[in-house]
Amino acid sequence: MSTAKPNVPDTPEIERESIEDRLYTVKYSDSGESHLDVKVEGICEEKCTNYECVNACPADVWRAEEGGVPTIAYENCLECGTCRFACPHGNVEWEYPETGNGVSYKFG
Amino acid sequence: MSETPNYDSEYDAIVVGAGLAGSTAALTMARDGLDVIMIERGPSPGTKNVFGGVLYTPRIRELTDFDDAPKERYVAKKTYSMLSEEGDETSMSIAPSSWREEPHNNSWMVLRADFDEWFAEQAVEAGAMLVTETTVTDLIKENGEVVGVETDRPDGELRAPMVVLAEGANSLVSEAAGLKDRDDRDNVAVSVKEVRKYDREKLEDRFHIDGDAGLAAHYFGDGACGDAVGGGFLYTNKRTVSIGVVYSIEDAAHDKKTPDEVLEEFKQHPAVAPLVRGGRMVEYSAHAIPEGGPDSMPELVHDGAVIVGDAAGLVLNSGVHLEGTNMAVESGYHAGRAVADALAQGRTDEAALASYETNLRDSYVVENLEHYGWFMDTAAEEKEFLFDDLPRALGRAGDAYFKMDNTPKDEHVSEAKSHILDATGGWLGAAKKAWKFRKMLS
Ligand SMILES: Cc1cc2nc3c(=O)[nH]c(=O)nc-3n(C[C@H](O)[C@H](O)[C@H](O)COP(=O)(O)OP(=O)(O)OC[C@H]3O[C@@H](n4cnc5c(N)ncnc54)[C@H](O)[C@@H]3O)c2cc1C
Ligand code: SF4
Ligand code: SF4
Repeated sequence: MSTAKPNVPDTPEIERESIEDRLYTVKYSDSGESHLDVKVEGICEEKCTNYECVNACPADVWRAEEGGVPTIAYENCLECGTCRFACPHGNVEWEYPETGNGVSYKFG
Repeated sequence: MSETPNYDSEYDAIVVGAGLAGSTAALTMARDGLDVIMIERGPSPGTKNVFGGVLYTPRIRELTDFDDAPKERYVAKKTYSMLSEEGDETSMSIAPSSWREEPHNNSWMVLRADFDEWFAEQAVEAGAMLVTETTVTDLIKENGEVVGVETDRPDGELRAPMVVLAEGANSLVSEAAGLKDRDDRDNVAVSVKEVRKYDREKLEDRFHIDGDAGLAAHYFGDGACGDAVGGGFLYTNKRTVSIGVVYSIEDAAHDKKTPDEVLEEFKQHPAVAPLVRGGRMVEYSAHAIPEGGPDSMPELVHDGAVIVGDAAGLVLNSGVHLEGTNMAVESGYHAGRAVADALAQGRTDEAALASYETNLRDSYVVENLEHYGWFMDTAAEEKEFLFDDLPRALGRAGDAYFKMDNTPKDEHVSEAKSHILDATGGWLGAAKKAWKFRKMLS
């Protein structure tokens, strides 16, 4: 993919926002229970080496772990659905957070 | 149909999702005298929705007093820019004076949290009922016919003769009920966006806009989102700017860079950085976009149910056009009318609802999807040329063509040509590529 950004003179320096800063701008209400899971842990452990769920998630929900089964910080989820499509093994269990919980956009 | 199912409720139709397609269907049916209930999972309509974006309003204007709608700016100018990874920009800008006059080419920047709430309110004023914070979890079927929905509320079953599935890109209910398959990941894009707030005067100065006029800017090439099939966008609102990237989930899955990192890089590009510097990020968001074209449209009509909007895959991405709002509204409108006609005959079977599909096929919606159906496949095939070689070649050709040195312009022109021909693979390659992409502007 793309390499480091070009160093073109007279281009303003844009401060990079960390994913934490980004998620800090989002309003959530926590359902207290994960709406995401992996269906079969063995598939993550044995069949999958690339963590495509981790690569594709825009909210740092899916995180690579030593054992091969990603952990899931469901509280960060933006409910975009990308991981549902991204997992090449169809191994993502995905529901909407119950009764309107989860992300709530002010702008959208 | 054997016997009439027990519909236990006072509603003629249940609409799943109060987005653009759902509210249009509800509005259309309620105006036709039907008892309609919209079920929306968000705390209010729009709170779960994200787009770029530009709302295209030809049908919405006919259905509502659009002048009262919460909107940001109309599109007075569109720009299309090719960005190379090295920092080059080659762009085109279109600003017909007619766009400044009513109805502004039916193209308005809006914010979905505001607009969708207002739009659902129009359906409610027409008589539809709205329940929020309620998620539909499955459909109830009897003898293969859809007869109602399950929700996540206690005693959450609700039955009605018709169900309109307007659940958007993540169509979990339609999938769970076996009415459609999940899209392949190369037919769906991930999009991330941030909304940045600026002083209004500063924003207008920066983008050379005034009054309600606004700018819609589109970016392509590996300076926009790496060598993925996709692009970047920037839209001016009243006091905020929406900036984001959209690219294929197929590419996102393989790229170690996450979508938020791709957006960060886009903002650093010398063509973009001066436009987004300063201000304050007030919201980060993400959403999926179905862009599989006509081949990934599911069956739209079922016994007791119809599928509309993004759930039906009705988004046009032709490279030049990104349109889903108008198609969502148009499909909700045709579906609402078909349901009203069928119920007037006391029917809910597929054959009685067929006019929805026929009317949609006769409208610009399916026509456009079919006309541009080739684009996403060709873009994927020609990824390296389109997103990598071409933006760089255009940058170099521009540099050569306008060069100030002590050689005659002839030499500059032939150098510029050679950059382009290198990228296309000679004259023959150029001709082949021109042929491949001929329909882009036709
Ligand atoms: C980043 C981005 C940029 C875009 N830019 C543009 C643009 O500039 N111009 C354009 O025309 N189009 C654009 N689009 C496409 C456009 O936004 C969509 O085509 C359009 O919003 C589809 O409308 P819809 O009503 O079908 O779905 P949505 O607007 O997604 O509405 C679906 C609704 O259903 C609700 N819902 C879902 N599931 C359930 C359930 N199980 N129970 C209850 N409620 C449920 C959701 O909360 C939501 O309110 C863009 C899309 C994205 C993501
Ligand atoms: S991509 Fe799928 S199989 Fe691989 S780790 Fe993620 S969830 Fe597991
Ligand atoms: S839905 Fe989107 S934000 Fe949520 S975990 Fe999946 S990819 Fe990440």
